[in-house]
Amino acid sequence: MSNTWQGRREGGGYIALWLIRGIGLRMGRPLARALLYPITLYFFLRRGPERRASQAYLRRLWGRPARQREVLQHIYVFASSILDRAFLLHRGERGYHFEVEGLDLLEQTLAQGRGVLLYGAHLGSFEALRTLAARHPDLQLRVVMDRTQTPAMNALLEELDPQLAKNVIDVGADRYTVALAVSEAVQEGAIVALLADRARHHETTRSVPFLGDPAPFPVSPWRLAAAVRAPVLLCFAIERGNRNYLLRFESFAERIELPRTRGDATLDSVLMAYAARLEALLREYPYHWFNFYDFWKPHVQATGDLGLAAAEPTGERGHLA
Amino acid sequence: MSEQSAAERDLAELIVSSLNLESVRPEDIDPQAELFGGELGLDSIDALELALAVSRRYGVQLRSDTPDNRQIFSSLGTLSTYIEQQRRSECVL
Repeated sequence: MSNTWQGRREGGGYIALWLIRGIGLRMGRPLARALLYPITLYFFLRRGPERRASQAYLRRLWGRPARQREVLQHIYVFASSILDRAFLLHRGERGYHFEVEGLDLLEQTLAQGRGVLLYGAHLGSFEALRTLAARHPDLQLRVVMDRTQTPAMNALLEELDPQLAKNVIDVGADRYTVALAVSEAVQEGAIVALLADRARHHETTRSVPFLGDPAPFPVSPWRLAAAVRAPVLLCFAIERGNRNYLLRFESFAERIELPRTRGDATLDSVLMAYAARLEALLREYPYHWFNFYDFWKPHVQATGDLGLAAAEPTGERGHLA
Repeated sequence: MSEQSAAERDLAELIVSSLNLESVRPEDIDPQAELFGGELGLDSIDALELALAVSRRYGVQLRSDTPDNRQIFSSLGTLSTYIEQQRRSECVL
């Protein structure tokens, strides 16, 4: 499973994160920024699978082989986003410029009182969303994430901002609890944010066209949206320059409805719309795709604990957790 | 398969109707069999749909902060027992 994102160890991450914390936060951001170059080079040289995944992705995007310089740039943008995550959490948005687009859309949707599902992707720095929540304490933001996936990163981020853990709905909890927690948060009028582009091992996916080839996307975010009957907005935060971010909210669906009989076709059309939006954004911001693994590899659903593959030959159902 | 109690049968009917399980008859759901992830092919989002239906029908809230959700949701029998307990305790109060 070494080519799936869950199979990748966080290795090297510890070192990079330690450097970012130890040097970045103590000695200042300019020095930490300078260190991003050797860190980038280290990842480029030592992490073959990530380097190849970047090359393959850029090739799909541009229809030509990627140059080394471009792959380095891709890794650099990712490293830079990690550094900023640490700074933003530790020091807030002081010194950063955030241009926010579509905030009125978010506010209007929240005013309906039905809660909001805010779906992003591993595209840019979704965490930048938290700075907005810090600026608007009246906004209730809950983030659905799997804390077991990147323990080093999470340990660091939570150390920097102890409040963080409280607002997380942990996918590592039992599966009933996660779905119920999302439903309760939405009923309370909260914003529930999650990244809808990666499937966990046991999750059901459906493949839809993405940058020219079918790619497996998880179906559970959309089944969840249908179950809780809340509007879905998309959210992306993209670093446009040094300490300069664009945070954008976009409407996606007033409500997701999945009729039982034509559910699969409806799911496919929803996934296609989501994938098409990601694709358009990547054409605009090619280096902000932070899925450094073979995203197009057909998803093999692990049967292990749930045995769902045998029970569901059509594969239409998914697991949130 | 063990016999369904009246409460279990009622809940089984709610499961079939709320989740639109066209190929399953309520009387065929084994009270002791695994309800989610088992032969019925139900998953956590079905569990959520069912929780919402249970709340509408019985007024019993299945909540994320209940520590033993895994046990409560494990079979038709355990879920029915929990719902009945909650309904009784509400009557007493």
